[in-house]
Amino acid sequence: MNGYQGRILHLDLTKRTFSVIDTDKYVQWGGGHGIGSALYWDLVKDKTLADGLDPRNVVTIMTSPLSGTMVPSASGRVEVQGVGIQQYPVNWYTRSNFGGRFGGQLKYAGWDGIAIEGKSDKPVWIEIYNDIVVFRDAKGLWGKDTQDAQKAIWEEQATRKPGEHGWTEMSNSRDGGRTTQRSAIITIGQAGENLSAFGCLIHDAGNGAGQGGFGAVFGGKNLKAISVLGTGSVEIADPAALFDARLKDKNEYAYTPGEDRPPYAFGGHGISPQAALWWAKSPEGGSGPQSCQGCINGCRARWEAGLANEASCQETACYAGFDVKKHGQGTEATHIAVDLMNRLGINTFEVWGCLAYLEALNEKGVLGRGKQVDTTLNMEELGETSFIKTFLDMVAYRKDIGEDLAKGTVRASVKWGRYKEDIGDGSLPFPYWGMPEHAYDPRLEIEWGYGSILGSRDINEHCFNWLMWDALIAMGAGKEPAASAEEWAKIVTDKMEPYAGDMQMMNYGTDNMYSESWAKTVAWHRHYGQFWKESALFCDWRYPDFVNYHRPDKVGESGKAEPIYWKAVTGNEMSFADGVELGRKIWNLDNAIWTLQGRHRDDVKLARYIYEHDAKAWELGTFFPLPVEKDGKWEYANVCGRKIDEVKWEEWKTLFYNLEGWDNKSGWPTRETLSKMGLDAVADELEKAGKLGGAA
Amino acid sequence: MSEDKIHPVDSRNQEEPAPRERVSRRDFIKGIGGFGLFAVLGGNLARGLLLPDDVIAFPASEGYLLVDSKKCQGCNTCMMACSLAHHGVQNLSLSRIQVNQDPFAAWPNDKSIEQCRQCPGAPCVAVCPTGANHIDAANGNVRRVDANKCIGCQRCVAACPLGQSRADWNFEEKHAQKCDLCAETPHWTSKGGENGDQACKAVCPVGAISFTKEIPLQDDRGYNVNLRDASWAQLSYPTK
Repeated sequence: MNGYQGRILHLDLTKRTFSVIDTDKYVQWGGGHGIGSALYWDLVKDKTLADGLDPRNVVTIMTSPLSGTMVPSASGRVEVQGVGIQQYPVNWYTRSNFGGRFGGQLKYAGWDGIAIEGKSDKPVWIEIYNDIVVFRDAKGLWGKDTQDAQKAIWEEQATRKPGEHGWTEMSNSRDGGRTTQRSAIITIGQAGENLSAFGCLIHDAGNGAGQGGFGAVFGGKNLKAISVLGTGSVEIADPAALFDARLKDKNEYAYTPGEDRPPYAFGGHGISPQAALWWAKSPEGGSGPQSCQGCINGCRARWEAGLANEASCQETACYAGFDVKKHGQGTEATHIAVDLMNRLGINTFEVWGCLAYLEALNEKGVLGRGKQVDTTLNMEELGETSFIKTFLDMVAYRKDIGEDLAKGTVRASVKWGRYKEDIGDGSLPFPYWGMPEHAYDPRLEIEWGYGSILGSRDINEHCFNWLMWDALIAMGAGKEPAASAEEWAKIVTDKMEPYAGDMQMMNYGTDNMYSESWAKTVAWHRHYGQFWKESALFCDWRYPDFVNYHRPDKVGESGKAEPIYWKAVTGNEMSFADGVELGRKIWNLDNAIWTLQGRHRDDVKLARYIYEHDAKAWELGTFFPLPVEKDGKWEYANVCGRKIDEVKWEEWKTLFYNLEGWDNKSGWPTRETLSKMGLDAVADELEKAGKLGGAA
Repeated sequence: MSEDKIHPVDSRNQEEPAPRERVSRRDFIKGIGGFGLFAVLGGNLARGLLLPDDVIAFPASEGYLLVDSKKCQGCNTCMMACSLAHHGVQNLSLSRIQVNQDPFAAWPNDKSIEQCRQCPGAPCVAVCPTGANHIDAANGNVRRVDANKCIGCQRCVAACPLGQSRADWNFEEKHAQKCDLCAETPHWTSKGGENGDQACKAVCPVGAISFTKEIPLQDDRGYNVNLRDASWAQLSYPTK
């Protein structure tokens, strides 16, 4: 079986047993998210389940056939799914994802993924050495932060398997496999143990699955960690083709140190292995790059200071703004903050949104000892190391305000009686399903908000967003962006099969934001994301490669490259459009699950402030450039200053549901749509529940 | 991180090889001035040349991999490329170059790259009872294992003077193996060997692996070198 290992590990934590699920039945779903959703559908009988802490909740951790292979920036990521505890008002069936080397080791151990159900009666951790799976007592690990827990496991494993000549034998036989590597571990910290919605999963120093509160989901199952080490092989259908494709990518599409660096290019495939850092000041001393397995160019670093290893992007921004505001410059407070969040296993996005909210509450005069939001937190110290240590301690151990926040910032706001006012005026910047803004305000970056509310969470897919950054950085420096707005719109929309050819799909102008073209953009984005990003597991930092400044024509490799890699590994001739179509099928399955959980189009609404207040500014100021077409002319226009018109958006939602083939009164999938995709059994279950779209 | 046992060339630090072979490296190196191109084949022929009776020496490899662990991004693509090129599968355990990482260690002590050093003294060749691990004259004297002759004694694994053995037991095909500078890579279309390309070097995204024909200084500093230049500094990484 090329790419796949043929086996999925099914853990029953209640009985502390495991069994093997044959991957063959699920290969039609591709990998990652597709297989995860299909598994959830099969394993969870009562799909009204909307409590992430319910023992019947099934959490899947799924690789793709590309995991552990040389496919650039598609080797290292792993998809996590299940019912979360973060979203509001309903804990939707949701997803998260983390990078590093866990996925590769799981494949080398002979597994395509893991499905976890039940709840252990005492803390356990799971150890996987190839096909040997052991439930181990986590008494000595419970209470440890994510770094100490991993170190303790490695230490214990080294004692049991000391190795010789620098190689660890996997069994008593010399032919049982050997390795130089340490096991790859995913673990929770104190936040997850204490069932806080801020709790996330952490692997190595800085790989995290943050959204959804899966740290608490693990904690609720009394599952501390999963360790995996493998010495097996991933079979490759055409090794020479994989090799050639990798080298072509490196030599023709990616940046290699020494060549001219494209100016003002931010994210995307061609960019350098410079770490993505948003803090104002880096830790003292030197650093070297670090990346997930197989990455074409990494996005983070390890530091001589020994702090904040593998931190990247938003987590480096999380406390940076407050730090600078307090001190006039960046300090060590930012590095200590991110290091501590990774150690305690705390979702940095939720912290970011939460601190912004607490700051707003303080400005309103309602936060403090004895006030409406009663806490001993001293907001005057926001930005200091002492503040963040105190706050994170409260969150991890549910002390003081941490107890109210344990169900998420938005539920805390409801509990304090503040929700209606604060979600109305935007001081609670949580626009979709109780999740914090990603910095890309839904009123400005259209596909971000639309896609998030039509799904289960902040989409966190930067496919079009990178190009905003390229324009922002160039224009901020007084330069022309490397691609004109028209070039950008043409190149991108040409790749958006099956809707290619409609450039209005990239017109972010206000008079176009409720158009059928935007229905196509959002639909395409979800379909593409559900398969190529979340199932095949091409990393969001490097794909899609839409516009590539290394190329004379600026056309990136996406659309052509992904099928070449897929075929080289699996032998399967899936086209780019086939993958997008499979993504549509997966998206429909997810919507079926949400429908059974109780979703109706009337619930699918962004936060009030999105409809009632103009977005005059965003995280970085009052300039947010996006391609806009007017009277046949394309330019990068500043879209700050607008809101979403609720009436027009509801009309747009109808267009979207029609395009997807869903009942536009309820938002539920119809039998006709499901049947065309071979999902009659899904239609049957919806019908039985009285939730089939279009049914009389 | 495992500590390399390599020391400056000195016969007193050599492990005692099998009884019928003794190597006195100091005199040999003195004799040839360290250039290593001397075509000594050992045994009777050696006695006829510049060397003492009990010396058997190996011609030096015409190629060496050099690495820069401070530049490495720890992506393991070199390891995947090695196993793919040689065996047609992705398997870190079958890679002849290994990268070790400690995610919590402070840079630059967070990673080490353990490539075969094609040792001039070739202890892994010296101990092989069947000649499976041999000097491959057709491929620039690379120290290479002929799998067909390997009987699986693993003396080569034990003989590697470096902390993490570069001679490795292939537990799937049941023979020893080691870096051959890509002399034999049936699953890669590029030409390898001392005059060709090496898979690990070719794929490394950051250029942390290079190739030289000169014998490196025989310690860590010789094989873990500085490959960072001004373009690296542009990425805000240190070049020292």
